[in-house]
Amino acid sequence: MIEARDLHKEFKTAVVKEGRFSGLRTLFSREYRMKEAVRGISFQVERGEFVGYIGPNGAGKSTTIKMLTGILHPTSGEVSVGGYNPHRDRRKAVRQLGVVFGQRSQLWWDLPVKDSYDILAEMYGVTAAEKRQRLGRFAELLNLDEFWQTPVRKLSLGQRMRADIAAALLHDPELLFLDEPTIGLDVHAKVNIREFLRVLNRDFGKTILLTTHDMDDIEQLCGRVMVINHGTLTYDGSIPSLRETIGLPTRMTLKFRGPFQVPDNFAASASAGVFRILGVEGDTVRLEADRREIRAVDIIRELDGWGEIDDISMEEPEFEEVIRRFSSS
Amino acid sequence: MLYFTLASKAYTRNLQYRSAHMVHNIASAMFGFMYACIWIGLGRDHPLGDYGTAGMVSYISFTQALLWVTSFTTNGLGIPQSVRTGQISLDLMRPVHLFSHMMAKEWGQIAYQFVYKSIPIYLLYVFVFSLQLPDQGLTYLYTVLSVLGAAYLSICINYLIGVSALWTTESSWLYWGNHALINVLAGFFIPLEWLPRWLEQIAWMSPYPYLLYTPTTIYLGTGDPSRLWGTLLWCGLFTAACLLATRLMRSKVEVQGG
Amino acid sequence: MKAGSWFHLYRLLIKTSVRSRMQYKFNFILASVLAALIQISEFLMIAIVLYKFGAIQGWSLYEVGYLFAVMTLSKTVYRTFADEVHHLEKYLISGDFDQLLTRPIPVLLALMPQNFRIMLGEVLQGGFILCWSLAGMMRTGQVGWTAVPLTLMIILTGAVILFSIGLATATIGFWTTRIEELQNITEDAARTAAQYPLTLYPKWMSSVLLVVIPVGFVNYVPSLYILRDELGVWVLPAIAGVAALCLGGSLLFWRFGITKYQSTGS
Repeated sequence: MIEARDLHKEFKTAVVKEGRFSGLRTLFSREYRMKEAVRGISFQVERGEFVGYIGPNGAGKSTTIKMLTGILHPTSGEVSVGGYNPHRDRRKAVRQLGVVFGQRSQLWWDLPVKDSYDILAEMYGVTAAEKRQRLGRFAELLNLDEFWQTPVRKLSLGQRMRADIAAALLHDPELLFLDEPTIGLDVHAKVNIREFLRVLNRDFGKTILLTTHDMDDIEQLCGRVMVINHGTLTYDGSIPSLRETIGLPTRMTLKFRGPFQVPDNFAASASAGVFRILGVEGDTVRLEADRREIRAVDIIRELDGWGEIDDISMEEPEFEEVIRRFSSS
Repeated sequence: MLYFTLASKAYTRNLQYRSAHMVHNIASAMFGFMYACIWIGLGRDHPLGDYGTAGMVSYISFTQALLWVTSFTTNGLGIPQSVRTGQISLDLMRPVHLFSHMMAKEWGQIAYQFVYKSIPIYLLYVFVFSLQLPDQGLTYLYTVLSVLGAAYLSICINYLIGVSALWTTESSWLYWGNHALINVLAGFFIPLEWLPRWLEQIAWMSPYPYLLYTPTTIYLGTGDPSRLWGTLLWCGLFTAACLLATRLMRSKVEVQGG
Repeated sequence: MKAGSWFHLYRLLIKTSVRSRMQYKFNFILASVLAALIQISEFLMIAIVLYKFGAIQGWSLYEVGYLFAVMTLSKTVYRTFADEVHHLEKYLISGDFDQLLTRPIPVLLALMPQNFRIMLGEVLQGGFILCWSLAGMMRTGQVGWTAVPLTLMIILTGAVILFSIGLATATIGFWTTRIEELQNITEDAARTAAQYPLTLYPKWMSSVLLVVIPVGFVNYVPSLYILRDELGVWVLPAIAGVAALCLGGSLLFWRFGITKYQSTGS
């Protein structure tokens, strides 16, 4: 569905002068600084995938998205979206795209939601019957009836986002680009949007590329995640394997029934090299381990020798923490 | 010192856009130049009354520079925008009166426009049209007083326009309507004595002549400094109106619950 | 997208925005009344001068009224359909321009229907002054009935010229982002200047208004033929040619400008 080959994008920015008459001098100066926002990104997205695209602010995330959607022209490299180059065949390429920018609406600010759909349908050449059928399909899931006649400026953020997503689906695109679709929403609204996106991907077979700062979005929705940092792709794969790559410790809490004894020579034993005891309180022991080095089963076997284990709980590393590690490395 | 801080912040906020404003000054100077050309063209065929062609060019030059102090004030002092964003209920909760708060900010804006717009534009005209400057110190004093009064009136008018945003979404039209009245009634392009009799009478019943015509004629030496009493009277009336409007606005915001 | 369906889209937009505007009757009436007041005050400025001095450089009150009305109506046609071209800066700053680039139609055609402005005040004022000045000149026998279709034609060619100037100015925004100051010169100042006979101005300035910012071709040049029988009938096709040239040139420039779009908006 999407193919990016060795994308580069450089921005030219005028150097701002300082000191006296700085404004005037900047205006007339010819000095520029080149900033390389994206340096050599390549990837492919297959039909039906749900891909998360993440990275810290200023890493080149939105520049990439803008090149994929034909908004920006790459300095070099090739993009193909649904078989078309969005720069040479912009109109054909964008016909297969639905784009939602979480921070701004594509609806008409002072018109009722319904009127915006009428205008968009006209713009994409969608017939009245198709429009009814498509909106009808999503109306219940997105609860569109609730604000059908309301001017967009009076919608709540959550309503507006639902209205915008429906608008992006009006021409039945194969491919959806979602840029921060849950930004600023409350927990309840976020859950609704996620559920809807899941249905779109699973039941309607839409290919979705999602950028977000909310790691729950990624973790709950995306089968694949791409991480960009300083303009290059630093990771492309599944979430579990991303976790593994980073090797953040898994935390375990074990509760013993009755008395137990931590071996006196534990600190010197071979096991101490692969897992670490964080604390002992009453009848519980908390520890952390790198699961690339030791299986959970082996840890339990080891601790079983200390006493009678009553209960075990395990915590995978927080995804957010994984990303933080990844971006800073 | 709060008011001084507000004013100086508004002034310095503008400094960063100086270069853009200089481009804008070229546009403004073009307007004035065009109006002056019209009067020069008219002066070729007709005697221009007491002013003469040179007098009319001086008149236009001064009003064009003065516009930045007494007409091009911030639309509704920025109140319409804070009504849209809901900021207004916050502003009303502050321990400063909204009117004096907004006014302090606008004085900073006006001071900036005076330094970076009025003065460069007027100097340009002095150079291009070789204008004469008044030689009496007293004239300068009266001019300063009438300009300060005019700026204050303009602040009040825009405050009232701003307050109206609580009742209508189209308050920016009032801003432009105010400009339309300035065009005709303030002596923006035509000195008031050349208006048709009935229009001239209407003009003198309004505050508009005190925005441009009075300061300009005082500066040119043709106007009687006693007109300053008129400026003072209107300043008093508008102050009362602004205080009343604030009270109405407060109750409106309280009813709406912010 | 076919032209037919684009007009259909436009009609839909007009219908919906008129309907939503009408929901707030008080606001709509207030805005229209004030717009008309602004227009009238603009004309009053000229009318008072003429009332006081009789004629400007040999142009009578009716003739100047005609210049003024044609300019107003051309601008009204331009702004009614392409107000958003004039407000491109807003889209560049907010980054909303991105959105338009994801539409499957030419960017300009996606931009224009973003908003529609009802300019009732301008239509009424311009129409009234045009009728009044044409009627005045017909009474004295200065012009005949043929002036009516010719006037309608130059209002349209004038709208095309003003649109081209507006589009070319807006395009500069792809490099500078800020265009308001420039618009003040190329649109507002130039248009206001051309409401008076260009002979009022120094040679260099009238040349600028004909060659660099060709507002003179909106009303002044055609009026020389239509009202005063100067130049010759060739003026009319020439005006149409100028309008086509302006439009073609500005569209080419616009297309080039879009490739320079940096999408720096937040």
